[in-house]
Amino acid sequence: MAKKARRPAAPVTPAAPAVELSEADHRTLGTLRSLADRVVEGAVASRPPHLDIPSRSLGNVRFNKAKRFIEMGSGKNRRELFNLAQAKAYMQTMLVASGCKALVEQGKSTSIRGMYYLLKHTIAGTKEETFDEQADCDPIIEDVEVALNTLREELHIYAQNKGSIVGNLVFRDSGDEIDCSRMGSGGYTIPSIVEPNVIQFLKCDAKFILHVEKDTVWRRFNEDKFWRKHNCILTHGGGQPPRGVRRLLNRMHHELKLPIYCLLDNDPWGYYIYSVIKQGSINLAYESRRMAIPGAKFVGLRSRDFERCELSPSVIIRLNDQDIKRAKQIAQYPWFVDKKPWQKEIELMLRNGFKLEVESLISKDISYVTETYVPERLAEQDFLD
Amino acid sequence: MAIADRDSTETERPSTKRRATAESMATQQRSISVSEFFSKNRHLLGFDNPRKALLTTVKEAVDNSLDACEEAGIVPELWVRIDPAGKDRFRVAIQDNGPGIVKKQIPLIFGKLLYGSKFHRLRMSRGQQGIGISAAGMYGQLTTGKPVRIVSKTAAKKPAHYFEIQIDTKTNNPEILNGKGEGIDLPFGAAGEKMMADLAIEWESEIPPDFASAEGAVPAPLESGTRVTIELEGIHKRGKGSVDEYLEQTAIANPHVTIRYRDPDGNVMEYHRSTRKLPPEAREIKPHPYGVELGRLVTMLKDFPGGTLSQFLTDSFSRVSPPVARAICEQAKLSPRARTKRIGREEADTLYRAIQETKIQNPATDCISPIGEELLLKGLRQVVPGEFYAATTRPPSVYRGNPFQIEAALAFGGSPAVQKISFDLLSQLLDESDARTLKQFLVATFDGMGPDGAEKIMRESRLGTRQSVAKLTEPERKRLFDAMRNVNLADGQSMQVLRYANRVPLQFKLRDCAVTQTIMGMNWRPYGVSQSRGSLPGGPITVMVHVASVWVPFTSESKEAIAAYPEIEKELRLALQTVGRKLGVYLKKRQSIRQEGERRNVFLRYLGEVAQAVNKINGTDAKVVYDLLMKVAKKKTSEADVQLDERGKAIVEETEKEYGGGVLIVDQDVASVEKQLLERIARRGTVSEIETATDADE
Ligand SMILES: Nc1ncnc2c1ncn2[C@@H]1O[C@H](COP(=O)(O)OP(=O)(O)OP(=O)(O)O)[C@@H](O)[C@H]1O
Ligand SMILES: [Mg+2]
Repeated sequence: MAKKARRPAAPVTPAAPAVELSEADHRTLGTLRSLADRVVEGAVASRPPHLDIPSRSLGNVRFNKAKRFIEMGSGKNRRELFNLAQAKAYMQTMLVASGCKALVEQGKSTSIRGMYYLLKHTIAGTKEETFDEQADCDPIIEDVEVALNTLREELHIYAQNKGSIVGNLVFRDSGDEIDCSRMGSGGYTIPSIVEPNVIQFLKCDAKFILHVEKDTVWRRFNEDKFWRKHNCILTHGGGQPPRGVRRLLNRMHHELKLPIYCLLDNDPWGYYIYSVIKQGSINLAYESRRMAIPGAKFVGLRSRDFERCELSPSVIIRLNDQDIKRAKQIAQYPWFVDKKPWQKEIELMLRNGFKLEVESLISKDISYVTETYVPERLAEQDFLD
Repeated sequence: MAIADRDSTETERPSTKRRATAESMATQQRSISVSEFFSKNRHLLGFDNPRKALLTTVKEAVDNSLDACEEAGIVPELWVRIDPAGKDRFRVAIQDNGPGIVKKQIPLIFGKLLYGSKFHRLRMSRGQQGIGISAAGMYGQLTTGKPVRIVSKTAAKKPAHYFEIQIDTKTNNPEILNGKGEGIDLPFGAAGEKMMADLAIEWESEIPPDFASAEGAVPAPLESGTRVTIELEGIHKRGKGSVDEYLEQTAIANPHVTIRYRDPDGNVMEYHRSTRKLPPEAREIKPHPYGVELGRLVTMLKDFPGGTLSQFLTDSFSRVSPPVARAICEQAKLSPRARTKRIGREEADTLYRAIQETKIQNPATDCISPIGEELLLKGLRQVVPGEFYAATTRPPSVYRGNPFQIEAALAFGGSPAVQKISFDLLSQLLDESDARTLKQFLVATFDGMGPDGAEKIMRESRLGTRQSVAKLTEPERKRLFDAMRNVNLADGQSMQVLRYANRVPLQFKLRDCAVTQTIMGMNWRPYGVSQSRGSLPGGPITVMVHVASVWVPFTSESKEAIAAYPEIEKELRLALQTVGRKLGVYLKKRQSIRQEGERRNVFLRYLGEVAQAVNKINGTDAKVVYDLLMKVAKKKTSEADVQLDERGKAIVEETEKEYGGGVLIVDQDVASVEKQLLERIARRGTVSEIETATDADE
């Protein structure tokens, strides 16, 4: 019959009394409150309310050569309530802030999808929804993060879990001890919040980290017990690694002093993933400080591997126009532009006119990648930086 | 050869008999009396059909009354009464409080065509030919056999004269039927009153107090005035080209006049003056040399009592000083001292051409008395409900030596009254209405509602065309009410044009008139008005144009359309452009106010959510936050607020300046629209037996 005004109940149960708040929670609540206070103060002084939100566009990021990662600039976008184009976004921002406040206060967290459902309803007296779809809500959550200079975790919002870990590492996750060397065939799913209050490292024998692009390759390495043989930690991020994975890599790299080697496809997308792990992403430039790993190394695949590994021509994938464009763009990234080996690498790929996936090595032998390719690269110290 | 051949074949036809000889024709040839001529060519004077005859009769008498009052400096008070007098017969009576007419002139004025005081002078007046009222009388006489009856009184204590007059159409001379051919005097006082009662003479002897006068004011005795009664064959119909329309439009252009009209059905409509200020007196001027045609010049030369050519020129024309006269003579190679009696036909011709070639200053133009912007706005507003009015009075100009002046006013209607009234008022109007069908009710009650609009509403409400008003049930009324709101009546509406010549409304020959042609020839789109090429613009717009002149160039004797002189067209265009531009400014402004309003609506929609969110975060009372934000929103969108909050204030001073004056802006809230509607209905009396308006002329 009639359209329901409210969506199913949010995945947060009503306030459980007396939640113990962490110091970070108190800080978050403080910033949220000051956001609301500014609205009231402004209104009392009959000033039209506005929010200044650091700009998350390409124009407002720059590469910090000293720190070797992408940083967000000081550019800000003003979002005004009494501006036709911004009124709704302003309202949504305040809604997200109020939603976060409720989460923090109740000691609960929710996914970005949960946050969308928590805040979605029909605006009183209209037929308009506060958010039409999740895609409307996600960027607003990021806006709140940057505007308040808080982390998503501090707002008690998590992203989808993605990515796995195995290896000679023991840590505590929310009080449970996790031994990553006893994770069977699936590995341990990397949670989206891996801050020290959630995850504490207990014991690490591994000497390095091998990060692979996706699940299929990761399974090969796990099945062949590569990490046991080479005493390392094996991770993947399901393509572009989510924040949890990047943050965990960052923590292991810095706190456990483990070098990181990335095994990614020989294509622009692989280059890009490497660039995100190493220098940070444009969209999350404000998180680079916590996520970028400037020391990460690129083991392969390489443009010259078709010849070096004597691969069959049937495994090559022709570059399309999009790939060529992306490759040229990446070559111009400030952190690649001065690196001769990288320029040569991209140049060669373009000259080849094809790309190679890590899986293509399987055509040689099912375990070629774990038993020959990566061990050789590591032995030769043959990587791109 | 060819001609001879044809001649021969014709003469060869044996049976061809000569039809008439010069001699036989001579027996038929004699002078034609003007009255005879016009009785056969009545269409030339506006008596082409019975419906128009009724209107023309009222119009001629009313125009005369207004001319007389104004010339005498009397604030005009008119009574118009039409009584049915048998099938398709009416008795029309018009009375004024004018100066009256002296006894010996009465028969000539009403019983002789081409007798009048206005033809020989150049002076701005409604009448100009000296035919009007006697033609009306003659028409009555021809169709009913009844004489014209006149009562006229020139001073308070003097007797009134009473005449019953017929025209001898053969000789164009009056025949007095009463008082043994002398008329009757009705003495002042009781004796006279008794005589009037005995003879069944109607006479308004007092003037009711003005609308504006203090409470408890008593009627004033009527000191002087004239009443004309004509019985004629006619048809009474409302709508376009009707007496009602004529009187209503007369009221617009003559805001100093009060007219009390009783129609054949006994309905009383009163048009009350909005000012007691008479228009400035129109001055008489001598003709300007450029405006005189050759024939007229010859007659003037012949009529000049004697003297030199130079004297003739300086005496007969305006703007001809002795040096100018000398220049004309030089150009014509005639001596300024030549005797006018000696000027022959050929010399008159060279003189005529010399006049055109000599540079002569334009005539003085202060002889025109325009209505003025303020009164135009007032007048238009009284009759046309709208939200925006603009008016302009152009400086006087000259065509063919005749000074003239153009005025234009424009009304832009908000949503029509039909969409603004409440259900209660509609019910009340339905209860009071004595219209037979719903369609009649709609057309008669709401302005700007044509039969088409009414039909649309009926269709939307699923009520039959012949639906009787009395039998409407409550749910049907509700349906009607909803339909009235939902139907778009502005669609297909086109500009209404009100034309005036010397304050007299022109109701016919819309398309032949220079005014209409100028409007259609202009591009109105830059003013934000829709228009398809070469036609009247669309939308709820009424344009009023006044052409004032010492001699209005009509396209024919029936004074229905203005001739297209280039000078007049140019002035028309300039005047229309001025009001068009003002409308453009208004429409643009209205657009931006509307946008501003929409903007605020957007803000308002989100204020509640923002207030709730703030409340959840820091606990501030949501209502308090909402109210505070609301205040800021109002300040932010203050432009929209001026219109929303200060309703009732008709004019915003600041905007007046923006338009360069000459505008009136009326807010369109429900209360004021209802009030206007009720006022108009009160003024018109009850609605009854209204036929759907159709225009016989177009
Ligand atoms: N009600 C009146 N009061 C005083 N004088 C009148 C009245 N009606 C007519 N007259 C005089 O009678 C004259 C003749 O009127 P008539 O209507 O026949 O001609 P007109 O008004 O001069 O020209 P037109 O033919 O254009 O109407 C007028 O010029 C005017 O002097
Ligand atoms: Mg007249």
